[in-house]
Amino acid sequence: MHYTKKTLVLKATTTEYTGDMPRGHIHPISSLIREANRIFHEVGFAFADGPLLEDEWHNFDALNVPKDHPARDMQDTFFIKDEPGMVLRTHTSNVQIRYMESQMKKGIEPPYRIIVPGKVFRNEATDMTHEAEFFQMEGLVVGTDVTLAHLKGTLARFFKELFKGASVEIRFRPSFFPFTEPSVEVDMRLVGENVPEKLRDKWIEMMGAGMIHPNVLKNAGVDPTKYQGFAFGMGLDRLALLRWGIDDVRLMHSADLRFINQF
Amino acid sequence: MKISRNWLQTFFDAPLPDAAILGDALTFHVFEIDGIENIGGDDVLDVKITANRGHDCLCHFGIAKELSAILNIPLKKYPHTMPIDELQKRKTTAVSVLIEDPVLCPRYIAGYIKDVKVGPSPDWLKKSLEAIGQRSINNVVDATNYVMFNIGQPLHAFDAGKLTAQAGNYAINIRRAREGEKIIALDEKEYVLSNSMLAIVDVNGAHSQGGEAIGIAGVKGGMPAGITEATTDIIIESANFNGASVRKTAQALKLRTDASTRFEQVISPELAGYGMRAVVELIQKLAGGELVGFVDEYPVPQEGRTVAVSLSRINAVLGTKFGATNVTDVFQHLGLPFSQEGEVFTVTPPFERLDLIIPEDLIEEVGRIIGYDKIPDIELPAPSRPPAVNPNFYAAEKIREELMSQGYSEIFTSVFRDTGERSVQNKIDSDKPYLRNNLQPALAEAWMSNSLWKDLLGIKTVKIFEIGPIWKDGQEVIVVGTAEGERISNMKGSETLKTSEEPLKVNVPVDSYDNLPLSSATRYQSFSKYPYIVRDIAMWTPSGTKADDVLTLIKQNAGALLARCEKFDEFTKGDKTSYAFRLIFQSFERTLTDIEVNAIMEKMTVILKEKGFEIR
Repeated sequence: MHYTKKTLVLKATTTEYTGDMPRGHIHPISSLIREANRIFHEVGFAFADGPLLEDEWHNFDALNVPKDHPARDMQDTFFIKDEPGMVLRTHTSNVQIRYMESQMKKGIEPPYRIIVPGKVFRNEATDMTHEAEFFQMEGLVVGTDVTLAHLKGTLARFFKELFKGASVEIRFRPSFFPFTEPSVEVDMRLVGENVPEKLRDKWIEMMGAGMIHPNVLKNAGVDPTKYQGFAFGMGLDRLALLRWGIDDVRLMHSADLRFINQF
Repeated sequence: MKISRNWLQTFFDAPLPDAAILGDALTFHVFEIDGIENIGGDDVLDVKITANRGHDCLCHFGIAKELSAILNIPLKKYPHTMPIDELQKRKTTAVSVLIEDPVLCPRYIAGYIKDVKVGPSPDWLKKSLEAIGQRSINNVVDATNYVMFNIGQPLHAFDAGKLTAQAGNYAINIRRAREGEKIIALDEKEYVLSNSMLAIVDVNGAHSQGGEAIGIAGVKGGMPAGITEATTDIIIESANFNGASVRKTAQALKLRTDASTRFEQVISPELAGYGMRAVVELIQKLAGGELVGFVDEYPVPQEGRTVAVSLSRINAVLGTKFGATNVTDVFQHLGLPFSQEGEVFTVTPPFERLDLIIPEDLIEEVGRIIGYDKIPDIELPAPSRPPAVNPNFYAAEKIREELMSQGYSEIFTSVFRDTGERSVQNKIDSDKPYLRNNLQPALAEAWMSNSLWKDLLGIKTVKIFEIGPIWKDGQEVIVVGTAEGERISNMKGSETLKTSEEPLKVNVPVDSYDNLPLSSATRYQSFSKYPYIVRDIAMWTPSGTKADDVLTLIKQNAGALLARCEKFDEFTKGDKTSYAFRLIFQSFERTLTDIEVNAIMEKMTVILKEKGFEIR
């Protein structure tokens, strides 16, 4: 079966009270992932996935997170009972390692370009802006000549496509993550008439990113003297909140059609 | 960390710019700022020091160094160049120090001062500490805190008079605590130590076996040797403790202090020398006293190292076209000694810059000091091969589309349940620690709750699905689950719940993704959390009356509480048409009562009757 835009028109408004079964509604996160995949696929990014229940090597060690790093503390990470060394992944970065490992095993050297949308976990109390389970999208680009300037260009393009009709500015600020060096925080600003007032002309913190730390490449079996690249990780829930003006992140897992049916 | 602008000014001759400019300089070149506050005429910046710079930036000097580099304002003093040969020249045998494990305590310096006069601190010192949220205690304790917030070395002062001397000499031991060893700390609370913790011990102290603990290493001093108004002789500790060990101790005791925060980040043992030198100088200035001398146990001095990077490598990583002078400017302004050979720069990091290890660390220094706004945005070149289609995602998208076309809406539910095969061991809210081994219970719950507001949603039946992982038979499997109602025959309007679940079927990969529709929603409208009330109204109308006109009439007269109104029935008999409408009332502020809705409906009835409709 092949669907085209023409045959399927989504109604975002309310359904009619008629006898016919109207089309169901897509979860906003699924719509966002669908759209992100489309934007990134066009510029050569493959969609990669990996396990949510992960070993500490792929979730921490291989990503250059030292054994005694505070992020590995009990209160931040869900550890699996009676399975030492197993956690619920705290980010989608585990798939960076798994993807590179599997490519190298198949004898496929870089260039690599992937995005990794998926669910991640943090052991924290939930409120309007925090959830213990949420969605992230990782990006990874490895090659011989990939630069921080490419990171800026790639993200600018993504946000331009996502917020159509707005002019998008990207700004980097220094930051620190064990898996990237240099590391940056990425801010975005939307300018233009079509931008909802709440977002217009304001710098918004979007994600952490940076140039992949040589140890990460090495741990995944990629030669860091030959290859380099960038990685980023953004929160999809937050992006959805901004995109549609959603006021409570807990709605994402509420399974409430009063929410879902608006999409 | 709280950073005072007045305090920063002590490092510069030239007047510093406004706090807002300092804040921006830090934000775009090194650290985020959580806020700027004016406290007693001083501007105090709340600076978020990143984990890689806890080595050198949890102090005013660290921030001053950064500002000097970013704003290109020279520093007037550089505390780490003050002479510390005194530590060797003025050795004393009146105090002895024994480090049991140099891994846990790489360095311990004790400084012994006699005849100090403990009293209130001068105003400048009180003000400095109060600006950054610290309480002034007395001149000796304040001096130790001032030096810590100034250059980053935690310090502690013991009352020597409360220690036990043997033949006129004191002995301090840094050893693992005994299991169950107790200490009353300066916060007057008792802490029970364990063998994984490090204690500072008065060897000759009360508990003859192994001495008396007078401090929890790197965390907090003990009450037994605390400084009071009556103190005259003091022993100052300027030491270095293992970061991971201090972190675990502070965590286990739930006792995080300014000292433990700094040791946790790992600081250079070299700093202890400068810390001791600075604090003795300050104490003698504030409280007088006679310096007896120092003991410096430093079994394995920190080794120097060099890091090299080439100009072409810097540009190849950043995507820039910087020249050699751009790079030398950065290193000079940051106070990083370097040599240059051709296009290769070799930096010898100062002892406190423990973060500079690999070439990429230097690339970061160049990028951030020049400014990331100088990085151009360049799109990636066209891909060399089209990206593969992910078979799992393709299959999920296909089934998602199929189910939506059949009227199912997509939900996500939590992976945590109260039963399952595997569980997490440390969930904050301990109910539902299991990972679901089945989607259906959560789907059933969602179906039930959504069925309560079917009328509000304007749907006849709830049809939902979820695509997501379950953990079953030791495997993580992606499954597709659905829930919907099934009509019960003979019982009008009643439904029973039907759920299904099957693994996501993944077929042979295809070449490209289908072009599936996105949500066309523009803005989300929040919904009322209060219950709603349903009223149906049916009427006979003269032929030719349009349903839409009646609907408009109802909407115009029902008031702001009408959340939804739809026609649900229509039939014609002779020259009359019967219309039936369903009205949903709901408030954003409260639970509505039948009485107020009935009043609205009565008013509505009157209006419809006036139009000549016959209410059925």
